[in-house]
Amino acid sequence: MNPLSHYKYVFQLQFLRNAGFLVFMTLIQILISIGIVIGFTYLIPSPDTATILFLATGAPTIILIFTGLVILPQQVGTAKTEGYMEFMRTWPVNRALILGADTTIWLIITIPGIVVSSFVAHLMFSPGYDISWTVIPALLMIALTSIGVGYGFSYLLSPTTSLAFSQVIVFGALMFSPVNFPMDRLPEWLQTLHEILPIYSMAEVMRASLAASTFEATAGNYINLFIWCILGYGGAIFILNKK
Amino acid sequence: MILEVNGVTKVFTGKGKNKMIANDHLSLRINEGEIFGLLGQNGAGKTTLVNQILGLITPDQGDIHLLGESVCRSPARARSLCSVQPQSQVPLGFLTPKQAVSLIGKMRAGKKFDPKRMEMLFEALDMGEWVNKEGEKLSGGARRLAAFCMAVIAPGKLVILDEPTNDVDPVRRRYLWQVIRSLTKDGTSVILVTHNVLEAEKAVDRLAIIHKGKILTQGTPSEVKSSVSNQMRMELSLASESNMEIPNWALSSHKNGSRCIFAMDPQEVSAAIDWAKRQVNNGLIMDYALSPATIEDAYIEITSRKVGQE
Repeated sequence: MNPLSHYKYVFQLQFLRNAGFLVFMTLIQILISIGIVIGFTYLIPSPDTATILFLATGAPTIILIFTGLVILPQQVGTAKTEGYMEFMRTWPVNRALILGADTTIWLIITIPGIVVSSFVAHLMFSPGYDISWTVIPALLMIALTSIGVGYGFSYLLSPTTSLAFSQVIVFGALMFSPVNFPMDRLPEWLQTLHEILPIYSMAEVMRASLAASTFEATAGNYINLFIWCILGYGGAIFILNKK
Repeated sequence: MILEVNGVTKVFTGKGKNKMIANDHLSLRINEGEIFGLLGQNGAGKTTLVNQILGLITPDQGDIHLLGESVCRSPARARSLCSVQPQSQVPLGFLTPKQAVSLIGKMRAGKKFDPKRMEMLFEALDMGEWVNKEGEKLSGGARRLAAFCMAVIAPGKLVILDEPTNDVDPVRRRYLWQVIRSLTKDGTSVILVTHNVLEAEKAVDRLAIIHKGKILTQGTPSEVKSSVSNQMRMELSLASESNMEIPNWALSSHKNGSRCIFAMDPQEVSAAIDWAKRQVNNGLIMDYALSPATIEDAYIEITSRKVGQE
């Protein structure tokens, strides 16, 4: 049988198995992303347009980080403890296909949140969106990096460890990462750390495609994402195929 | 020959260099259309062997051949030739049994997937009331049967069933055994992993008893029984779970809650019956039954003999 039909059946199986959860998660994503745009304007008393643009172009990145590095590891942890991971390993399909089908599902649930929050931000604040064609590849690349890294560490670590790890990530991404504010506000050591970690590059690439006339991303950002993406998926496939 | 396991050894290294020999030079062969029972206590190494047959883990020594080709060399091929019902429950989530079974069927058979076979399975196992219910809401037994159907919907060459009757009610257990037997008519072989010896005796063509990673004996049920076949067994229902004195004619005894089994020489039968009657009159036992030795007796005899030697 060809890989495409395998992919189709694995996708259907995984999607239907999680259907109720996915609908719920999509709704939560929409709420969170709107919340980031509106909520931060309460935190900052009289934000200027530049600040709001930062928040509005940061929200989609937060959604992708939240999905790939928080919700996904929790799901993988549950699948591991329930024995579902072992069961998946007995399927007569290439394991990379399972990863591919799951990635598609995670991608799908992030899109409504990103679209809705951008619309809401535009209607409320008109912060100066200038969407470039690069938004599609950028979104894909950021999502794949986030999902890939999420898979990598949640397959590698025990369910409890990866759960704790994902809690740290969600807090760190929201408060200590240059996603919703410029990098130069952070202390120097954190700046250096963010040059290596993928979160800053995700935010830069996202901003550059949502507000192309205000921001631009460097080649370094793209290379950084590419490396993390390969590391994440490579690690996940390695663990899935490990005997 | 469907499956040939040759001298397979698997050692797991735990924390602090603790070595656990899960499989110790296991060898066995399974023929086409045969139901082969793997019997053994918890932790005997049955599931480890199954995982190696599926290519999920690699043996440290020895080799496994599936239809003449090494599993270690082509594990993906092993996964498409074998389907498995795992020992743990398959968490179906929001999937209904119908969705789960048809998708696994399509994944295994592609366009050759036959929806009629699925209907036939559901009917044979009397699952009608559950097939369109979300897995989360099903009882343990219903989920177990759904997992069974997932394993046998497109059976391939070898079906491995790890404790398939756990959680299943006695009526549907019978249906389940019929479905398993009908699989073999199409040339599919079945490995039945279980510690439920009484059920296995009726179902399997051949069996192996695994104990602490080693195969103690293998053959047809009557061959395995022959080691204790001259014996009779007396099964007692005790009035209480307290210990009772073991009579001197008992060659071996085994107690499980209020159930107690003695093995004995045939010539001791009348003495045993007299003894049992007295115990009934004294109110110590509720009930007794006398029968020829079963696989369970052989199993207990063989595994305890082994323990005794160590």
